[in-house]
Amino acid sequence: MTSAITSTPIPAATPGGKPDKRGVDDYLVIDTVRKEFDGFVAVDDVSINIRKGEIFALLGASGCGKSTLLRCLAGFEKPTAGRIVLAGADVTDLPPYLRPINMMFQSYALFPHLTVEQNIAFGLKQDGMAKEPCQRRVDEMLNLVQMSKFAKRKPHQLSGGQQQRVALARSLAKSPKLLLLDEPMGALDKKLRSQMQLELVNIIETLGVTCVMVTHDQEEAMTMANRIAVMEAGRFRQIGSPDEIYEQPNSRYTAEFIGSVNLFEGKIDKDEKDFVTIACPTLPDPIYVAHGVTGFTGMDVAFALRPEKMQISKTEPAEPHNKAHGIIEDIAYFGDHSVYHIRLDRGTKVMCNFVNQQRWASEGFTWNDPVWISWGDLEGVVLTS
Amino acid sequence: MSNATRTSKWSWLFLGFGFFFLYAPMLSLIVYSFNENRLVTVWSGFSTKWYGALMQDDQMLAAAWVSLRIAFYTACASVVLGTMAAMVMTRMRGFRGKTLFSGMITAPLVMPEVITGLSLLLLFVSLSTWTGLDFARGMTTIWVAHVTLCMAFVTVVISSRLAELDRSLEEAAMDLGANRVKVFFLITLPIISPALMSGWLLAFTLSLDDLVLASFVSGPSSTTLPMQVFSSARMGVSPKINALATILIVGVSTIGVIGWYFMERAERRRQAEMQAAAKQ
Ligand SMILES: Nc1ncnc2c1ncn2[C@@H]1O[C@H](COP(=O)(O)OP(=O)(O)OP(=O)(O)O)[C@@H](O)[C@H]1O
Ligand SMILES: [Mg+2]
Repeated sequence: MTSAITSTPIPAATPGGKPDKRGVDDYLVIDTVRKEFDGFVAVDDVSINIRKGEIFALLGASGCGKSTLLRCLAGFEKPTAGRIVLAGADVTDLPPYLRPINMMFQSYALFPHLTVEQNIAFGLKQDGMAKEPCQRRVDEMLNLVQMSKFAKRKPHQLSGGQQQRVALARSLAKSPKLLLLDEPMGALDKKLRSQMQLELVNIIETLGVTCVMVTHDQEEAMTMANRIAVMEAGRFRQIGSPDEIYEQPNSRYTAEFIGSVNLFEGKIDKDEKDFVTIACPTLPDPIYVAHGVTGFTGMDVAFALRPEKMQISKTEPAEPHNKAHGIIEDIAYFGDHSVYHIRLDRGTKVMCNFVNQQRWASEGFTWNDPVWISWGDLEGVVLTS
Repeated sequence: MSNATRTSKWSWLFLGFGFFFLYAPMLSLIVYSFNENRLVTVWSGFSTKWYGALMQDDQMLAAAWVSLRIAFYTACASVVLGTMAAMVMTRMRGFRGKTLFSGMITAPLVMPEVITGLSLLLLFVSLSTWTGLDFARGMTTIWVAHVTLCMAFVTVVISSRLAELDRSLEEAAMDLGANRVKVFFLITLPIISPALMSGWLLAFTLSLDDLVLASFVSGPSSTTLPMQVFSSARMGVSPKINALATILIVGVSTIGVIGWYFMERAERRRQAEMQAAAKQ
């Protein structure tokens, strides 16, 4: 595959090292971009710098403005305010056909009256490329996405996964400075999806092309992206690597949006330099957190604890704190792990994951069993917003 | 069970009645075009002599030639203008008076033809007096009149196709470096070409059988086929007309069947290919 891309003008980044992307830090600059539709603010003063070779995901619920921001980058929507600078050049006022940016559409948008080959060649022809180098480039791209066999077919003669490969090849053929993906896996079934996610990342990383993608599927964002921006109502709520977003959410919104979480509302009880305790009305003892927090005593906070960070046991744990007693109300068995819904003595319900490391291990707990849950001093996150 | 059979018997009866109503006149017309007798209603043996007579009728042939030419030019002009109007109606985002424009484009659909014809006649007459130019009534004026009518139909056909066309196809082409003009000619036009074709055929047939508009705006040297048929039928129906009608019916249905056959075949092949692709 590497030999197929030797003539690509984009320097190939070292594949593999996911977070290690050395490049210009502000390859794509989105500077307070705002988009209004008749007074309705779809994108609300968004700013972000994206590194060269980075895969950046916009993640958010339906209607939060992801697609609108992507369309501003592509040039289909003109921002109401703000600038977009790509590789040092301001592209804000350029029409789509003059931007060095290509997009892969959610519906793939393959031209139905052209063959696979002609589809891929379309962009090259618009640049006035001569016939021979054009054909060579098309063959190269077909090779890259392993579609050489299907060069002469029309789009409707391809399966969904094959259509996606062609769409990808078409959007990469012109070696764009920026690749945009709109819900890249939206039209594929689940099994094909996870396979294509890795393949897509592989191709993008071998070419070293900078990529902004839009998705509402958090799993997809986590597997594919180097960095994720969680969007809500036209604004970025949090920007960070997948593990940062998951393990260190900065607000109740991101904590609940990414994965599942148990939230305990409470007040800061003791605020020391190296630990805090949080008094929650729903728990018998204050929660002990083994690091300092920027806050003050009596401040309203939420304690976020992921279900897999908890242990479940039949006997009371020896630790002096961070434990609670309850009964099992519901069990969801997933094969590799089980999720226990436990009603604590004070009435709140929590979710607790249990990895089924041994066969039949899940049979140890059953409905209405009294159990103890516990968690480590550093496993939860204190949320102040 | 017996109930169901009875229902289906009734349905067949109604269907037969409907078809009889629609096609019996045509069928009798075709049969009598081979009648030897000069009285249309009296059968006296098989003959093709009226077809020969038709071929000798220079007036009828000239009218047919005029009609065919007008229909051809009308269809071409209507498709061009109709496509332009449809593009404006579906692609331009909310300009002022868009609704009014759409309404005015399609108004000739519902306007009584007598009124359209009369107003066009008045227009041509007054244009001649005002400009001093000679807007002689003839083929050109009929053509203009037919285009005003047919364009409305073509616009409706094409704009409904454009409205359901996936906008992201055009966006993708633009994204790949094609400007608006190129997008139109390389992507939009080829994809909607079946709609252009049916719009063209629709305009052609509409123009071919129009009598009212043509009667208003025709001149002495530009008698169309429907006008010729109409005036000769008033003199008494000659079996020649039957022969002419038979030729028209056969011609139109042959074109229809061929068109249907090709579309059906293309669609079947497409379905098969899609199934084959899904199986992989
Ligand atoms: N052309 C438009 N005119 C008016 N409002 C629009 C337009 N396009 C988008 N919007 C509005 O802007 C908001 C953001 O839309 P957008 O398509 O960006 O959402 P999204 O995050 O992509 O959602 P989804 O996941 O459903 O695709 C929505 O409330 C939508 O109604
Ligand atoms: Mg969207």
